[in-house]
Amino acid sequence: MATLIERRTTSGPPIVVGNVRATPQARAVIVRLPFGGFVWHRPTNVLIERDGRVESVPIDDVTRIAQVTLWASAVAVFLAVRWWWPNR
Amino acid sequence: MIDTFGRTVADPQAVRDMSHEFVEKIFAAAQPGTVFSAPVISGDYTIITAGEVMAGGGFGFGYGSGSIPTPEQQGGEAGPAPTNQDGAGSGSGGGGGGSSGRPVAAIIIGPDGVKVEPVVDATKIALAAIGAWLSIALLLARRARATRS
Repeated sequence: MATLIERRTTSGPPIVVGNVRATPQARAVIVRLPFGGFVWHRPTNVLIERDGRVESVPIDDVTRIAQVTLWASAVAVFLAVRWWWPNR
Repeated sequence: MIDTFGRTVADPQAVRDMSHEFVEKIFAAAQPGTVFSAPVISGDYTIITAGEVMAGGGFGFGYGSGSIPTPEQQGGEAGPAPTNQDGAGSGSGGGGGGSSGRPVAAIIIGPDGVKVEPVVDATKIALAAIGAWLSIALLLARRARATRS
């Protein structure tokens, strides 16, 4: 029986250029319902192997960060207005 | 009546098979190939694009059956005897789904190392900014009007 919500880390094909080996990684959130489902799959980081050292470079979703920041600031202003300027 | 019931059962099974195939197509979005593109080589540089993928969907189906009251039960005159087709069940189903994807970053592998260049969707950010500031302006206007009255 598959779980209702599953988090899975997936890896793309490793790319080898010279002495650098880069493996992109992603995370998938899978919601399984009896009559449907939902999948959210996004890249998270790149694993870089060079001279025996492994380094992880994050993949930042700038668009999503900006969107969340804007909406969070709107919610903060809404709460501040309600707190400091109550309805009369 | 049994035949009718058998046909009724057969149709939901076909719908189930179809829906199973449909769900598998949704979950195929969890494969790594959906997020990372094939590498593109340009001179000394190898570029992979990384994108976010969202897919979802659902379906439903139903069927029902019943018996048709005889003319005696209805209090009317006797008519032709009910046949097997009378009171036959029927069912139908439907479903829908969709998926979306957008580029998040470009991974550039070159002689100077590995760089992750973000892809900025200015339209999405501008829409979020307009929505956020419009909602704040509406809230402030409503508060100001309430204070005046």
